[in-house]
Amino acid sequence: MNCRILLLLTALPLLSGNLPAAESPAEQRLKASVDQVVTVARNARNRDALITGVKPILEGILSFETMTRRAVGPGWKQFSPEQQKEAVRLFTILILRTYTAKFTPGEYPSVVYKSSSTPSPERVEIPTTALYKGKRYDVVYRVENKSNGQGGPGDWLITDVVIEGVSMVGSYRTQFDSEFKQGGAVAVLSALQRSVSETK
Amino acid sequence: MRARLLISIVGILAFTILLPAKGIAGQGQPSHSGKASAGKAGPGEDDLEEYSSTADIADPIQPVNRGIFWFNHQLYHYLAQPLTKVYQTILPKQVRTGIFNVFDNLEYPDRVVNDLLQARFGRAGQETGKFVINSTAGIGGIFRVSQRIPWTADVPAEDTGLTLARWGLGHGFYLVLPVLGPKSLRDTVGFAGDYALSPTAWMIFWFPGAIWTPAVTSPDTARNVEQKMTSYEMVTHNTLDRYLAMRTTYAQSRKLAGSR
Repeated sequence: MNCRILLLLTALPLLSGNLPAAESPAEQRLKASVDQVVTVARNARNRDALITGVKPILEGILSFETMTRRAVGPGWKQFSPEQQKEAVRLFTILILRTYTAKFTPGEYPSVVYKSSSTPSPERVEIPTTALYKGKRYDVVYRVENKSNGQGGPGDWLITDVVIEGVSMVGSYRTQFDSEFKQGGAVAVLSALQRSVSETK
Repeated sequence: MRARLLISIVGILAFTILLPAKGIAGQGQPSHSGKASAGKAGPGEDDLEEYSSTADIADPIQPVNRGIFWFNHQLYHYLAQPLTKVYQTILPKQVRTGIFNVFDNLEYPDRVVNDLLQARFGRAGQETGKFVINSTAGIGGIFRVSQRIPWTADVPAEDTGLTLARWGLGHGFYLVLPVLGPKSLRDTVGFAGDYALSPTAWMIFWFPGAIWTPAVTSPDTARNVEQKMTSYEMVTHNTLDRYLAMRTTYAQSRKLAGSR
């Protein structure tokens, strides 16, 4: 009798037809990081505490090098290694500021994950809906398997965040293009430096 | 004089209509690379073309647009943002949300007419259901009860610009309008259509001298300004060039709205 009950209990979830799909490593990685950010945002008492708490999480999950390279585009090849390093450093500051500026201490989003798509074996796009301050936002995370040293070998890292159809990297690409056309790598670095020193 | 003006407007419209939608829309306008990604690239170079087709809008009158953008920036910075702060200080968030919801609910005619013009009859039904639910259970639209019902939650909002896009009209080119901000030529025409379908505008038209008219229209203006300032601040902060950031954000978000 006990054996029958055990079998029934084991079979029930399989019969329900509504099993949650197994999460891919990319989804697991993203969810863990988003949860961490939400926890920090919920507990932060002021903006400084929020930024201090969120920064190490973002540094672990965002691929700043990839984001910078793609935001610059083909002109990246004309940057010297020192210029590339400096561009990544400055752009990292901007990305962190852009991301943290979207949060208000004490207020945190509730995130619903939708079915992800896999455009290539090394890339997963994870659409989500974030309910934040009473409004719903469609947010798509582009996550890629990167072994660039930031997240360890073969780690899944975010390479772009698309909020309501607006790509963070794509938006910067338009701006970098304009600077690059005017004065190459020097103009891009100068604009980055100016933006970093002007904004907080 | 009026006839000339009319001929000019018709001429501009005709010119816009004759333009092929895709080429002029600028969606997919190449960046400095000038070409889309093709073929296999070497390690580290694989993704440099990745964003070469980010949505953008042709901008042939950029110097003029930048001038108006600068004017708008001063206006926002020195007038609209302080006024928004006063609005936010005087009224608690719940009240402001209620005001926003009421006027958003009142824009039902614009949305449903454009649903019908795009032959999206199912969506027109959802929009009508949403309006009825919010107007009744939501007490005149103060509460967005429709969000709790899956059928009426998150119905994509149509406007006249999107209808024109669905009919095959491209953006034309980018325009920064004084006070109103970013638009494309197509969406400027669309904006006129949206205004004509706005009940708030009808009130001004029907009762131009009435004392109570400002009492009705002011909260609508306040909620629009608050929303605009929040978006403006978000888009233009931490940028290299706030004008370009705004232009590409406008192009990308309109592209998404058209695809919903």
